[in-house]
Amino acid sequence: MNPKLFIKFVSVSFQKQVTYRFDCFVGIVNGFLYVFIFTSLWKALYSQFDTTMHNGYTLTAIVTYAVLVMAVRISFTMHDSIIYRKVMDGSIAMELIRPTSFFFMNLAENVGHSLFHMMARTVPIVIISVFLFDIYIPFEVKRFLLFIVSCIAGYILVSMMNFIAGLLAFWFIEIFPFLLFKYAFYTFFSGGIVPIDFFPEFLKPLVNLLPFQYMLYYPTTILIGRASLAEAQSIIVAQLIWIVIMGVICSLMWGAGKKKLIIQGG
Amino acid sequence: MQQNNIAIKVKGLSKDFDISESGRGFSGKLKALFYRRRKMITAVDGIDFEIKRGEFVGYVGENGAGKSTTIKMLTGILVPTSGSAEVNGIIPFKERKKNAAKIGVVFGQRTQLWWDLPVRESFDLLRVIFRVSRSDFKSQMKKLDKALGLNPLMDMPVRKLSLGQRMRCDIAASLIHNPPVLFLDEPTIGLDVLAKESIRNFLTEINREEGTTIILTTHDMNDIEKLCKRLIILEEGKIMYDGETELLKQKFVHEKVIEVEFYDDGNIIQGIPGITVVREQGCKKWLTFDNDNFGIGDVIGTIASRYKIKDISVNEPSVESIIRNIYNNRAMLATPSEE
Repeated sequence: MNPKLFIKFVSVSFQKQVTYRFDCFVGIVNGFLYVFIFTSLWKALYSQFDTTMHNGYTLTAIVTYAVLVMAVRISFTMHDSIIYRKVMDGSIAMELIRPTSFFFMNLAENVGHSLFHMMARTVPIVIISVFLFDIYIPFEVKRFLLFIVSCIAGYILVSMMNFIAGLLAFWFIEIFPFLLFKYAFYTFFSGGIVPIDFFPEFLKPLVNLLPFQYMLYYPTTILIGRASLAEAQSIIVAQLIWIVIMGVICSLMWGAGKKKLIIQGG
Repeated sequence: MQQNNIAIKVKGLSKDFDISESGRGFSGKLKALFYRRRKMITAVDGIDFEIKRGEFVGYVGENGAGKSTTIKMLTGILVPTSGSAEVNGIIPFKERKKNAAKIGVVFGQRTQLWWDLPVRESFDLLRVIFRVSRSDFKSQMKKLDKALGLNPLMDMPVRKLSLGQRMRCDIAASLIHNPPVLFLDEPTIGLDVLAKESIRNFLTEINREEGTTIILTTHDMNDIEKLCKRLIILEEGKIMYDGETELLKQKFVHEKVIEVEFYDDGNIIQGIPGITVVREQGCKKWLTFDNDNFGIGDVIGTIASRYKIKDISVNEPSVESIIRNIYNNRAMLATPSEE
């Protein structure tokens, strides 16, 4: 896909978000509330025990994780119901008559959306949190660059997950319950609430079979210094492998879904 | 070289839809949670046709006859259940993107413009999508503006346009890359007479001057009569007529109506072979005759030689009335026009 076109569509999608400024304000409050709830919970939990370290996290480390995983999660905000809505009202037809890849157009739309949330919500929430909570981030240029790369890979994985979930609408049309299920799965198994290190042993084999931990958990561990630089590189390799696997699933589903598509409303 | 003359080639094209039904009301919906009746609907049923470059073809049929489904298969939106189709030598459902670059599409009830953006920006996005160079874009826009009067609309957001304005913009949008084949699915739906007229003139012009192949589906038979030399009529997914619009009349109209006004109302018309009186109103009489066996000149000549005629006219049945009759599977009878 033409990069110029991709950027154009990112900017159209970004501009569309700007029109919903009230949403954005509510979004900041909501995001900050989450950060506040999780950090308070961790502080309360840690105060119950004499040991200061749990599953390899000191209180500072876990608070840092809670703030940053939320920061990444908010930056990854995208409309997971875009495809579903386009199938519901039949407007998907108008996209298919263009000589553009449906997947990349969808990605561009997501990126524009996410960039807006990153600038309008993540940045203020992180700034407020740095002043309010005890946060420690080891700052090394190389680490930070690896974090950015890992974030981009994680972002592509989230976008692919939403693409796959959205394509289900080609078969079932009404897929809202699926989306709720996906949201719960994604938030929990990506480490969005609790880091994977805190998961019970019996869940870990399952977690390792799923791509979710590569979406939020691993990028965050790179930034907060839980992963060494060498580990960070192997994390990125694993993410790339997952991108290939999910990419194959996306294209297989797209090929099969096209045959099932019905354009609603003539 | 023969191959190059053909814009669209369709063979044995079919599309089935799998529709699951839920019952009516609350209890029906509740039952549908556990059991759904699946129903197969054949929207398009093994159609064949070929369209040459530069043709202007009307594609008509009742609601649900399969017109839009055919167009959606030819534009690569839907994948057919069976059969083959080629547009500009490309198989649309295998190479959707390649096909999309060479066709223009207008779906009258939808827009391909961006709802929140001004028209100008929508066009600019389409320019990038279709990889049109700035100079080509400029000259094409000039032409489209002249024909469709776009200039006053350029800075308006699409959502603020009236239906007629939006349709003009949508037609322009489908032609930004000057495609050799244009699909129009009900482009005049809901438009007033003037707007229809300006769109018709424009379509005639690009068909004649650019040699654009145009496939038009519509419920407005005036569109067909004014624009399309060739007509394909679809019924329940099957083609029931494919030929010149003019020939439709020859094929299905076996009786013509003559409207005659005499100087006095006492005349009793009889003894002229092949003629029957269908309606009388004062000095006016409507007569039908079998135009397969009798020449119109002879019939008029005979009447004129026997009676004093004030005014005479021959009513051609409209394409609409013919098609209406075909839909109804009635005997083809040209009825007198109602006043």
